Amino acid sequence: MKFKVPIFDVKNLSFSVRGQKILSHISLEIFNGEYVAIIGPNGGGKTTLIRMLLGLETPTNGEIKIFGKKIKDFKQWQKIGYVPQRASHVDANFPATVLDIVNMGRVSQRSIFARTNNEDKEAVHDAMLKMDILDLKDKMVGTLSGGQRQRVMIARALASKPEILILDEPNTGVDMLSQKNFYALLANLNKEEKITIVFITHDIGVIADDIGRLFTINQKAVICNNPKEALSCEEMSELYGIDAHLVHNHKHVH
Amino acid sequence: MLEIFDYDFMQRAFLAGMLIAILASVSGTFVVLKRYSMISETLAHSALVGVAVGLVAGFNPLWMAVVVAIASAWLIEYLRSSFSLYSDAILAILLSGSLAIAVIIVSLGGAFNNSLFSYLFGSILAVSEEDIITILVFGTIALGLLLAFSKELYFIAYDEEVAQTSGVKVKFLNFLLVTVVAIIIALSIRVVGSLLIGALMVIPTVSALQYRVGFLNTTFISLVFALLSVLSGMTLSFYFSLPSGATIVLCVLVIFVVSLVINKK
Repeated sequence: MKFKVPIFDVKNLSFSVRGQKILSHISLEIFNGEYVAIIGPNGGGKTTLIRMLLGLETPTNGEIKIFGKKIKDFKQWQKIGYVPQRASHVDANFPATVLDIVNMGRVSQRSIFARTNNEDKEAVHDAMLKMDILDLKDKMVGTLSGGQRQRVMIARALASKPEILILDEPNTGVDMLSQKNFYALLANLNKEEKITIVFITHDIGVIADDIGRLFTINQKAVICNNPKEALSCEEMSELYGIDAHLVHNHKHVH
Repeated sequence: MLEIFDYDFMQRAFLAGMLIAILASVSGTFVVLKRYSMISETLAHSALVGVAVGLVAGFNPLWMAVVVAIASAWLIEYLRSSFSLYSDAILAILLSGSLAIAVIIVSLGGAFNNSLFSYLFGSILAVSEEDIITILVFGTIALGLLLAFSKELYFIAYDEEVAQTSGVKVKFLNFLLVTVVAIIIALSIRVVGSLLIGALMVIPTVSALQYRVGFLNTTFISLVFALLSVLSGMTLSFYFSLPSGATIVLCVLVIFVVSLVINKK
């Protein structure tokens, strides 16, 4: 593991908007097969960090390498599946069936004028099967429940056969039972399918058993290699503020 | 009943109208889904600048309209991506700015006449064989590009950022879409008129959306609605001596209201 090229290699990353520091001097590595959770207070820069990893924002300072390549030279974006924060808030009027959405996962791999081939069909079928949404295939996305939509969005990301899945709190507006199933699904993707997972969440207590490492982001990054220990670590409590206690209680309730 | 087809100009008008219905509705689907509806109005007014230059300088107004509409579309995309301006404000500024320039050019060149009027409101009498060929050539290119990139454009309309992170060339395709839309609008103003083309591009899709079906079916329904309104609008305009563009728009409005009512939740 030590000598392997990390999927994400972030060095000394800083980001400011109009003179206001959002992130400063972040360095971290994410390796193949890991399950990493990112937590931190709202406005602490979690989403900004993810957006920089995906090339949606350009860092003020620092360097990002993806699969060993500088981000501006990296072309194989289909290796990275992204499920954004707004995933479960689909515009109800958007004309899309579940199949329409999952098919989008194949778009970047096709060449112009190419029709959907068997490989595409298989990948889409496979992704829907894994997310258990095959029976919803022809349903309009706007009519689904929050939990179902969430699975559709992940199926779309999986259809490109990614090596890493990045999820930015995709569970707002999803009921408790669906959330529990969802966490089980993620753990399964990581263990069985060997997909690396980076998960921004507030529910750290619930997934503490699944995750390998925990990054706490509040302008700076604190990396805890043993998440269960991290839950009681004072350092994190200080960084995370009052939320740390909430997380702690959360853990005991469940 | 079919005496309407005895006239050469009506045959040309129907042919041009149907071509435009296809082009406007297919491109309109992407425009509406991208929340870009107002761009059609702005580009239609920019196309008028081309028409004005054409009329005054003696070039083919349709060709000039295509050129100026494309330039305007690129300017919109450039302003949108390079400055912190609200998209709808950019559209409003360019809309009135273009109209002002067009009016000044026409006024200085002394071309305020029926010819300009026909470009504002459309005229079925005005469609020449040369126009049909221009529409056919440019229209085929425009439609070809839309179909070639339809999956990417649909993905971008759904979620621009997710499309970008999956490796879709979002910036290039946004430019491509506005270019194609500019071409289609410039081609359409002869028949429907620059003040009314926006309706033909937007309303069929918005009506089709009321049926809450998937993407392909929505595009298909929108196409049928556009064809239906052009054909019925032109027929009514022939028999009742009504202006063609306005009659077509009223027909598509009827379709919209009916779609809205029968699909009421």
